[in-house]
Amino acid sequence: MANTTTYLGLIPLLPLVGAAVIGFLHLGTCKGERLPERFYGLLACTAPILTFLLAVKVFFDLRGLPVETRFLSQEVFTWFKVGEMDIAMGFLADPLSSLMLLFVTFTGSLIHIYSIGYMAKDESFAKFFAYLNLFLGSMLILVLGNGPVVMFVGWEGVGLCSYLLISYYSEDRSNVLAGNKAFIVNRIGDFGFVLGMAFLFWAIGSGGFDYISLKANAHMLPEATVILVCLLLFLGATGKSAQIPLYVWLPDAMAGPTPVSALIHAATMVTAGVYMVARFSFLYAHVAAVGVFIAWVGIITALVSAIYGMYQDDIKKVLAYSTVSQLGYMFAGVGLAAYSAGIFHVFTHAFFKALLFLGAGSVIYAMHHEQNIWKMGGLRSKLPLTYKTMLIGSLALAGCPPFSGFFSKDEILYSALASGHTGIWLVGVLVAGMTAYYTFRMIFVVFHGSPRDAHAFDHAHEPPAVMTVPLVILAIGALFAGFLNLPALFGGSQQVTHWLAPSLAEHAHEAAHSTEIIAIAASVAAFFVGILIAWRKFGQGAEEPVFRGFASFAYHTFRVNEFYDVILVRPYKAIGGAIANFIDANITDIPAQVIAWFYRQAGSLFKLLQVGYVRAYAIYMIVGLSVMSLLLAQSFK
Amino acid sequence: MFDNVLSTMIFLPIVIGLAVMLIPFGSNAARRIGLAASLLVLLLGVRAYFSFTGSGQLEFAETRNLIETLGIAYRLGVDGISFFVLLTGAVLIPIVFVVVRDRPRAFYGNLLITAGAMAGAIAACDLVLFYIFWEIMLIPIFFMIGLYGGPDRRAATIKIMLYTVSGSLLMLASIIYLGAAFHAHFGVWSFETIALTGLDLSGRTATLAFFGFMLAFAIKIPIFPLHTWLPDAYTEAPAAATFLLSAIMAKIGIYAVIRFIMPVFGPELVHYAVPLAWAAVIGLIYCGIAAIGQKDMKRLLAFSSASHMGVLALGLFCLNIQALTGSIFQIMAHATSTGLLFLLIGMIEDRLQTREIADLGGIARQAPIFAFFFAVALLASVGLPGTSGFIGEFLIILGAIKFDTTIGIFAATTLIIGVCYMLWMFQRVFFEKGNDRTAGFTDLSAAETLAFLPVIVLILLMGVFPQPFIARIEPAAQNHIATVQATGRTSGQIALDHTLQQH
Amino acid sequence: MIHDYLSLSILLFCLGVLGVISRRNVFTVFMSIELMLNAANLAFIALARLHESMDGHVLALLVMAVAAAEAALALAVVILLHKHTGKVDTNVFSLLKG
Repeated sequence: MANTTTYLGLIPLLPLVGAAVIGFLHLGTCKGERLPERFYGLLACTAPILTFLLAVKVFFDLRGLPVETRFLSQEVFTWFKVGEMDIAMGFLADPLSSLMLLFVTFTGSLIHIYSIGYMAKDESFAKFFAYLNLFLGSMLILVLGNGPVVMFVGWEGVGLCSYLLISYYSEDRSNVLAGNKAFIVNRIGDFGFVLGMAFLFWAIGSGGFDYISLKANAHMLPEATVILVCLLLFLGATGKSAQIPLYVWLPDAMAGPTPVSALIHAATMVTAGVYMVARFSFLYAHVAAVGVFIAWVGIITALVSAIYGMYQDDIKKVLAYSTVSQLGYMFAGVGLAAYSAGIFHVFTHAFFKALLFLGAGSVIYAMHHEQNIWKMGGLRSKLPLTYKTMLIGSLALAGCPPFSGFFSKDEILYSALASGHTGIWLVGVLVAGMTAYYTFRMIFVVFHGSPRDAHAFDHAHEPPAVMTVPLVILAIGALFAGFLNLPALFGGSQQVTHWLAPSLAEHAHEAAHSTEIIAIAASVAAFFVGILIAWRKFGQGAEEPVFRGFASFAYHTFRVNEFYDVILVRPYKAIGGAIANFIDANITDIPAQVIAWFYRQAGSLFKLLQVGYVRAYAIYMIVGLSVMSLLLAQSFK
Repeated sequence: MFDNVLSTMIFLPIVIGLAVMLIPFGSNAARRIGLAASLLVLLLGVRAYFSFTGSGQLEFAETRNLIETLGIAYRLGVDGISFFVLLTGAVLIPIVFVVVRDRPRAFYGNLLITAGAMAGAIAACDLVLFYIFWEIMLIPIFFMIGLYGGPDRRAATIKIMLYTVSGSLLMLASIIYLGAAFHAHFGVWSFETIALTGLDLSGRTATLAFFGFMLAFAIKIPIFPLHTWLPDAYTEAPAAATFLLSAIMAKIGIYAVIRFIMPVFGPELVHYAVPLAWAAVIGLIYCGIAAIGQKDMKRLLAFSSASHMGVLALGLFCLNIQALTGSIFQIMAHATSTGLLFLLIGMIEDRLQTREIADLGGIARQAPIFAFFFAVALLASVGLPGTSGFIGEFLIILGAIKFDTTIGIFAATTLIIGVCYMLWMFQRVFFEKGNDRTAGFTDLSAAETLAFLPVIVLILLMGVFPQPFIARIEPAAQNHIATVQATGRTSGQIALDHTLQQH
Repeated sequence: MIHDYLSLSILLFCLGVLGVISRRNVFTVFMSIELMLNAANLAFIALARLHESMDGHVLALLVMAVAAAEAALALAVVILLHKHTGKVDTNVFSLLKG
C-alpha cells in the first residue's frame, strides 16, 4: 500500500530510547562519579531534533499524496488480540497529526535546549532529561497512535511524566502533593476515557479499532451511544486539558521546573484533550448538542480562570490560569465544530505560551528563583532580550493584531458568532479583554516601573545564549504563525484549515463578511480596553494590592480547592480510615468471627472430655474399642 | 528427568526442602541450596516452555494409579492456563532466595515445600490429588507465619487457618459428591477433572457442591467479604511468605475457579455470575478505599492486593473471552508486580526495622535503583499502559462492560482508586525529606539488582509485547468459555430444574 | 478346655484394664499393661494349640519382644518423670487437661 511507511514508528521510539539510555546511564553512575552535563545535554537533544526532522519528512511526504488518501500508517506489531478485539501497535500520520507532530517536536526540541541552561548544576540533571525524553516519546505516541488504545498509551504516559516532573523537586512535600493531584485528577479523566473506549468498542469496535475503521463504521452507531461515548471521552479531555470541573491540578502543576511548565503544561500535553476531540470529530460532529455543551464548558472555564488570572501574584500562576483560559477557547472552538480553528489555536498557543513560560523562566532564573511579581519591577533594562520576546508573546496571547494569537482566537470567536451562539461569543470577547488585562498587568509589574527588591534587581542578569536563542526562535513563531491561516478577509487562503480538512469532519460556518468584521472589531476593542486598564493601574509602577471581598475570593480561586477538599478528599480519607480502623475489623469480619465462634463452641464442648488423666483416655479407648468390636461382631452375623 | 518434568518440578523442591530442614546446614548454605533448587525448577520450566505447543490440550501428562478401586490417580498435566501460572511461580521463586537472607534453614525448607506444593496444585488433574496439594501448600505457610511472623503472628495464623480450612472442608465434601455423582452415573469411580466435565449435574445438590468449591476458592482469592484474613496474614507474615501468598497462592484460587468450576459447574456459574461479579466489584472498591486508611506499608499493600484480586475475580465471572483472557494474563502481571512490591517492602523492613509510613521518607534520594524498581512495580500495579498491568485490567474492564454496564463502570473506578493510595504511599516513603532512620538506607547490591532485573524486564515486556503470552492463553480461555456455554443451560432452565425437583 | 484358657485370659485382661484405669501409681499402671499383654499371649498360645498352627506362637513371641522393648522405653520415661517431678502419681501428669 502506498500509504504504509516504515519510519513512523521511529518517531516515538527515538525519544523513548533516549530516555532509556539516559536513565540507565544515570542509574548506573548515581553511586560514583557523574558524567558531565554537556554529554547528557547533547544526548538528550539528539532524539527531539531527529524527531523534528522526521516530522518535517512526514509533512512533505503527506503533501506529496493526493488529498483523498492523505495519510501514512505503519503497523509495527500486533499489540494484543483477544476475540474480536484486535489492537495493533500502529501509527497514523494524517494532516491533523502531522501538524501536531511538527509543533510538538519543534517546541520540544527548543525546550530541551533551553533546559540545558535552566537546569545547569542541578544534582539530577540526567534524570530530568530522561523524564523529558520519556515525555516527548509518550506525547508522540499520543499524537501518532492509530487508534484510541494506542493513543491512551501516550495519554497515560504523558500523565506519568507530568507527575514525575511536577514532583521533580521531591524534597518539598507541596511539590509532591501537586504531582499526586495532577496524576489523580488525570486518572479521573482517564476513567472516562477508558469507559468511552469500552462503549465505543462494543458498539463498532469489532470492525477494527483504529481511527480509519472507526470513521468508516461510525454511521452504524445509535445516537445515544454517540452521546455517551462523546461525553465520556470529553471527561477524559477535561482531565488532561484542565477544564471545569477537573482544572484544579494545572495551577498546582507549576511546582515543576519552568521548562516543564512550558513544554508539558502549556504547549503540548494539556492540548491533548483538544486534539482528542478533533481526532474524534467524526463522532462529535454528529451530536451538536454535546458540542454546544463542550463549548459552554470551555468558555466558562475560560471566563473563570481569566478571573483568577487577574489576581494572581505568582508569575507562573498567572500564566497557568491563562493556559486554562486559552484551553477553554480551544474547547469552545472544537465544541462548535470549528475543529480547525481550535487546532489552529492549539498550534499558535504552543508558540506564544511556551515563549511566555520560557521568558518567565528567564526572569525567575535572573531573580534567583523568585516567582512573586510584586518582588520584581523595572526588569526591562536588565533583561532587554527577555523583555522583548515576552512582549511579543504577551501581545500574541492578548490577541493584538497581527500577532499569531489574534488570528487563531478570532477564528474561534467568529465561528461562535457565525454559528449563532451569541452568548458564547459575548463571553469570549469579555475573556479576550480580561486576557489583555492580566497579561499586561504581569508585563507592567515585572518589567516596568521601578525595582521593588533592589538587591535582587542588582544581581539580575540576562541568561546564557542556550536559553535566549530558543526565546528568540519562539518569538518569531509567535509573531508569524498566525499568517499561516490568514482568512480571506485579509487576503489569505486559510492554509491550515485546508490542510486539516481531510482529517476533520468540519461544518464550515459561512457568514457574511460583515459578521467577520464585527467579530474582529469586538476582539480588537476588547484588547485595547484590557490593555488600557492595565496601563492605567500598573503602567507606572504600583504597590502590591490588598485583596478584599470579591478580589480576595478570586485570589483564592473561589475556594474551589477547599471545596473539593471538603466534599471529596476528606470524606474519601475518612471512609478509608473508617473501613481500615473499624468496619473491616468489626463488621466485614463477622463471617470469620462466626466461624471462629463455631469452632470455639465445638472446642469447649470437646474440652470437657479432655480431663488430663491418662486413665480417662484409657477408658475412652476401651469404650471405643468395645463399641467397634461389637459392631464388627454384628456385621459377621 | 525431563520425561516427568511436572513431577520433577513438584517433588524436587519438596524433597530438597525436607532435606534442608532435616540436615543441619548453615543458614547461608540452606539459602544457596534453595536457590539452586528453584533455579533448576526454573530451568525445567523454561525447557518445558519451548516444547509447549499451546494446543489447548493437556501436555506433559503423567498418570499413575493411586487407589484404583476409587479411581483416585496421580494425574498431572498442563494447558495454556495452568502452564503460565506454573511458570510465573518458577520465575519468581528464585528471587526470594537471593533477597531474603539470614533466616533459619527451616525457613528456606518451608519455602521450598510451599513452592513444590503450589506447583502440584497447579499441575494436578485429579481432584483428590489437587486437594492434597492444596492442603500441603498451607502447612509450610502455617509454620512460616506462626514461627517467623510479626508480633501478632498467632492471631493471624489462626485466622488464615480457620478460614482456609473451613473452605477446604466444604470443598472436600463437594469433591466427594462429584465422585459419587460420577459413580452413580457411570458406575465407576473417577476424580479426573476431564472426566467430571462430562457430568450432567443439576438441582440443589449441584448448587451446594458448586458453593462448596466456590467458597474454598473465594476464601483463597479472596472475594469480598471473605477477605478479612488477608490483611492480618499478609502483614504478619515474613516478606517471603507474603510474597508466596500474594504472588502465587491467591492466583491458584483464580486458577482453580477456571480449572475446576468452569468446566463442571458451568450452569451454576452462569446462574450466579451476577452476584459473584458484584461481590468482586464491591471488594475491589472497598479494599481500595481501605488501603488509604493504612499506616503500615505492608498492610496498605495487602489491601491493594485484595483490591486487585477483586479485578481478577471479576474477570472470571464476566464469562466472556476478553475478561477471562484478561484475568489469566493479569494472574501473571499481578503476581510479578505485587510480588515484587512485597519483597521490596520486606527489604525496607530488613534494613530499617520499620514499615510505618510515617517513619519513612526520602528513600528515592538514598537509593535510586531501589526506588526505580519500586516505581516500575507500582506503575504496573496501577495499570499504566506500557506495563503488564494495563493489558489485563483493560481487558477485564472491557469484558465487564459487555457483561453488565453498571458493574463495568464500577470496575473502572479501580483506575482512580489505585493511584490514590499508591501515590500517597510513594510520596511519604520515597519522596519528601529523609530522616535519620532512612539516611542509612543502602541501595540494592549488584546481586539484588540482578535478581530483580528479569522481573522488571518481564513487567515491561508483558506490557509492550503481550501478544506472545495472549496467543498461548487465548485458545485455552476460548475452550473454557465454550464449555461453560455448552453445558450452560440458561439461568431460566436452572430455575426450572429447581421447581421440578421440588415436585 | 479351651474355654478355661480363654476365660483366664479374659479375666487377666480385665484385671489389667481395671488396674490401668484405677491405679494411680505409674508402676502399677505399667504392670497392669504387662498383665494385659500376657493375657493376650495366653489367648494366642491357647488358640495356637487349638488350631495346631504355629501362627499363635509367632505372635506370642512377637508380643514378648514388643513388651520387652516397651518396658525398656517406658521405664526410662518413668525415671525421667520422677527425676523432674519427684512423683510417680499419674494424677500429677495432667498437662493435656483442656
